Amino acid sequence: MVDIPVACNIQGDYGFKVIVVDDEDTMTEVIRKATEQIVGVLVKQFPPDAKLIAKIHGADTPLPNTATVKGENFRQMEAIDIYQEG
Amino acid sequence: MAMLKMEEWYDLARETNWTPSYVTEDELFPLPMSNNFDIPVSTWESFDEPYKVSYRDYVKSQRDKDVGAYSVKAALARSDFFKKASPHWKALLALHFSAVCWAEFHSASAFGRMTRFSRSPGMRNMATFGTLDEIRHGQIQIYFAYEFLKHDGVFDWCHKSSKTENWIIISLRHALDDIAHTRDATSAAIMLNMGLEQSFTNLQFVALSADAAKCGDHSFATMLQSIQTDEARHAQIGEPMVRIMCENGKKAEAQQLVEIAFWRMWKQFSALSGIGMDYYTPLEHRENSLKDFMDEWVIGQFGRTIEALGLDLPWYWDYLQYDISTFHHAQQIGVYVYRATQWWRPIACVSPAEREWLESKYPGWNETYGKCWDVVIENIRNGDFEKTVPAPPPLICNMCGLEVSGIAGDHWKSVDHQVELDNRLYHFCSPVCKWIFEIEPSRYKGHASIIDRCFDGTIGTGPDDFYEYMGHSFAERGVDGYDYEWIDGYDTPQRAAE
Repeated sequence: MVDIPVACNIQGDYGFKVIVVDDEDTMTEVIRKATEQIVGVLVKQFPPDAKLIAKIHGADTPLPNTATVKGENFRQMEAIDIYQEG
Repeated sequence: MAMLKMEEWYDLARETNWTPSYVTEDELFPLPMSNNFDIPVSTWESFDEPYKVSYRDYVKSQRDKDVGAYSVKAALARSDFFKKASPHWKALLALHFSAVCWAEFHSASAFGRMTRFSRSPGMRNMATFGTLDEIRHGQIQIYFAYEFLKHDGVFDWCHKSSKTENWIIISLRHALDDIAHTRDATSAAIMLNMGLEQSFTNLQFVALSADAAKCGDHSFATMLQSIQTDEARHAQIGEPMVRIMCENGKKAEAQQLVEIAFWRMWKQFSALSGIGMDYYTPLEHRENSLKDFMDEWVIGQFGRTIEALGLDLPWYWDYLQYDISTFHHAQQIGVYVYRATQWWRPIACVSPAEREWLESKYPGWNETYGKCWDVVIENIRNGDFEKTVPAPPPLICNMCGLEVSGIAGDHWKSVDHQVELDNRLYHFCSPVCKWIFEIEPSRYKGHASIIDRCFDGTIGTGPDDFYEYMGHSFAERGVDGYDYEWIDGYDTPQRAAE
């Protein structure tokens, strides 16, 4: 259990925000922690049926939502984009 | 006895180079302070300043300027201008004075280095006047700014800000340290004159002075005019320097100095003056946008100037066009939502009428940055003021010290440029900030952004630690300059729909 700062840019936001996640968090948990703090503050609510996914900024493909921060070897201040699938 | 005319003695009087006999040339002009770029001193001696003035005439002219500015100030001292000024103009004044007073005063140090360590006597002569100019600019601006202290405590930051670790001040200080205060005299002359004064401040002060006059702030307008005329003179040091470099096989070196300095100052100008022009200037007095200003004066005029000197347009000129239309809009959102981290009272400037103006100047603004504002506005209208402030801090660029931002809303574009070095991940807001870092990583890699300092233990984790680190007492945390009254414009549904 190690805290790690991660830079997240949620679809619609003007820039990255830095949140602290646990290295055992899955992407689902990372997405939840990020959206809890930004959606409804700078980004409007996503549709209830929207599926949000995350990818390392600059990568071509998203990470599985079951992947963990540790498993994906996140670096300190790793940058990820969080966006609606499809 | 009849006095000689200036042109009869000027060239001879400034020939102050000599051959040292007690010390070597390298000891007299050590490389870290005085890079000659392997150009012989006889060539540097060909520097011919375009704006010649004697010390006697300089003093007379400066005295006249001071008399004019201080007379207007004295005549208007009893006016109620400041008390009646809108929060728009007050925010602009607070931002200007807090960022500019000390920056001008510190510039005297850079000009002092040019005065002592330049190889060209003509340049040393001009830099002497530049040093005196900058001392005057620091003094006159802080004197004018302090006039407002009795009305508003935020003007304490006109002097205090440079001594703090406020994140905006760190950003500005880092940029000025880079181009002016940690470079040899030759490089600093080119970077400060070409990258800041020729390209931005000389022209900006003309525009800001005109805006001040339109807003009825005649003492501010007169003061700015008195400064701008100095800028126009000493900014010309850079031109002969670049010309000498280009004519003597050092074009690439001069090109790089100009490109670094211009970009570093552009980011500051974009965030500070961009917000000033497109948001803080009262709408009824707002004519030209930042984009209009940049297109005409910088892309156009400055671009032609550097080409005429023998340089190429910077490699990032096309990217600059994108940045002009995007960066400061994102920064304005950040400045407002993280308003407690500012020393002044930030204003949103997104009333329905202001949005209409922004959309006309930046087509697509409502579909992009306007979407973030829609959420902020909805929260304010619902009384959810706490939800107008994001809990997580923003990511800060490891070069310019401003937010790493892209395009918001329906045309969302996530932007981050990275370098991994010595097991540390550096983030940059643009390919140009990244390019500057990669030119000389050892120069920049040790700097920690304000957010890096939050996570490396420099700043404590207590609720007030961040503000105390930045030098903000509780009373010095920014709040909405209009106390949210600007939201009233949205209370008429028909008008909001428009």
